[in-house]
Amino acid sequence: MTDRVLPTPRRSIGKSLLLTLPILLWSLLMFSRSMIEPGRAPKLAAAATLVFMVALFFQMMRTLETHRWRRYFFVALGFLFPVGFIWQLYALRGSMSIPVERMLSGDTPFCFLAIPMMILPAAVAGTVIFPGSILPTASNPHAIAAMVALWFAATLVLGKGWCSYGCFFGGIEEGFSAIPKKPRIRRLDPRWRWMPWAVLAAIVLLSAATLEPVYCMWLCPFKAVTEYPAVRSFETAVQMGIFITLFAGLVVVLPLLTKKRTQCSFLCPFGAFQSIFNKTGAFDIRLDQSKCTPCVLCEKACPTMSITPEAVAAGKPLMSCMKCGACVDACVRDAAVWHIKGTEVGASSERARLMYLYSAWAFAVMFGGSIIAGALEKLFGLMV
Amino acid sequence: MPLTALMTEALLLGVSSGPVCLASCTPVLIPVLAAEQKSPRGTGALLAQFLGGRLAGYLAFACLAWLVGLSLQLQPRAHALIYGLADLGLAIFLASYALAMRAHPAASCDQPCPAARARLFAHRFRSFAPVILGFVSGLTLCPPFVAAGVRAAESGGLAHSLLFFLCFFFGTSIWFAPSVGLGLLRRFAAVGVVARLTLFLLAGYYGYLALIVLGRVVLHD
Repeated sequence: MTDRVLPTPRRSIGKSLLLTLPILLWSLLMFSRSMIEPGRAPKLAAAATLVFMVALFFQMMRTLETHRWRRYFFVALGFLFPVGFIWQLYALRGSMSIPVERMLSGDTPFCFLAIPMMILPAAVAGTVIFPGSILPTASNPHAIAAMVALWFAATLVLGKGWCSYGCFFGGIEEGFSAIPKKPRIRRLDPRWRWMPWAVLAAIVLLSAATLEPVYCMWLCPFKAVTEYPAVRSFETAVQMGIFITLFAGLVVVLPLLTKKRTQCSFLCPFGAFQSIFNKTGAFDIRLDQSKCTPCVLCEKACPTMSITPEAVAAGKPLMSCMKCGACVDACVRDAAVWHIKGTEVGASSERARLMYLYSAWAFAVMFGGSIIAGALEKLFGLMV
Repeated sequence: MPLTALMTEALLLGVSSGPVCLASCTPVLIPVLAAEQKSPRGTGALLAQFLGGRLAGYLAFACLAWLVGLSLQLQPRAHALIYGLADLGLAIFLASYALAMRAHPAASCDQPCPAARARLFAHRFRSFAPVILGFVSGLTLCPPFVAAGVRAAESGGLAHSLLFFLCFFFGTSIWFAPSVGLGLLRRFAAVGVVARLTLFLLAGYYGYLALIVLGRVVLHD
């Protein structure tokens, strides 16, 4: 491990508390409704989530590190989302599997992964191909319109940062990738980085041709931990086999072996789609060549292989960068910096980080925080 | 029915159902055009080859439509068999095409050798591929195509059926013209890599569909 060249900076407790205050107020606003709900479980869950989110943000302010503290939140979100989701499925349907008739009636909770597949059919045929309801209903609160609006608003600000603060699936593989101390597999063919784009192209074109959400039906690994078509035929058995194989391989085994987010890097078409919005967002990461040795610490730290020698030479990560902050935290010479487009590189890195973090964490509290609180409420309900 | 009215009807049917035709052909057409990484002019030539193959497919189907007349509505088993075989052929062809794209015509040996012959074969295969893919796409039973087939069968003689399909083809082809713009992406090398990977994925998808459909046909025997 390379020693840190510059002294490890640390902000004073008072200043850190002051910087955390807006997030504390925002969190109180977000969880105030749960605080006044009857019963102890909702109150406990809301309080625990509030403390968790505010404490993590305080640590980000105090230590000036981003990735480490964000990862606690993100892994919690990844592992607690299925808990709350499966619980709800059992409460509503008594099963994780969804029969075709329920799917056709629009009782499928909407997932943001379907957004890229819906664009062409909506433009060409004027139809929404996902079998969910556009507006929320009593049996299905996860409506299409709400999720699309939420995703769009967050994407405008965060770009592909959505994959580090909003995606409720990525935390599972990030959790597994954090377990080993060193990777067993170090060399991965960089050409595999293009696979998510190929999957995106294939599913968008096939969805337009078949008017079906092809990815959800055939390739989504997270069907294994959320809901899946009821296995009633050879076809649905194959579908289930694909879901489980992809989940086991890309979300569990490969992250353990490589310490990378392999599903995000090699399969997820939504990640590829989201990369486009890295071009439109205001924040990015820059690699200051005047300070870079290069020691490749940032390359090793990047969970999605977005930093390559070519990227270092170009002075910025590839467009697949998820703005998780791992490279900035790993860099011992402060060559990897947060940046606001249109400003000088490295001149106000901490200010750029703060501005980005306030947006990202406010969204994380509202979206991920509510998911965490919902799952905790169910778990506390069992105990209290 | 007067010839002008027949042609107008076919043209309008083609224009109105063109987006659906485009949607059903794009999984094959777009990756092929993107993978070849030609200039807009070269892409236009590829598109013309694809559309030529598609026209041949349409006309072949028109002959069939005229031959079988109103009995065009096939038995479900025959329908499934045609679908399954078409998907299987498409899958094999797409995978072969993606593999052939990796071979360059320049031989690595001076004398004719197996490697050079294989490369030459791959190069020739590549040059015919858009036509063949267009032909297979033309044979695919997409909904507007079936509608046109039924109408063509009712239109009278073989010449009328062929003319109807020709006009229908021109009507749908208008919607394909913007895909020439893919030629503008040729300066991005990554587009070619992604397109080739997409061809493999699509080959897997069509291959799987073929197995499911043909499996059903076999199991019903």
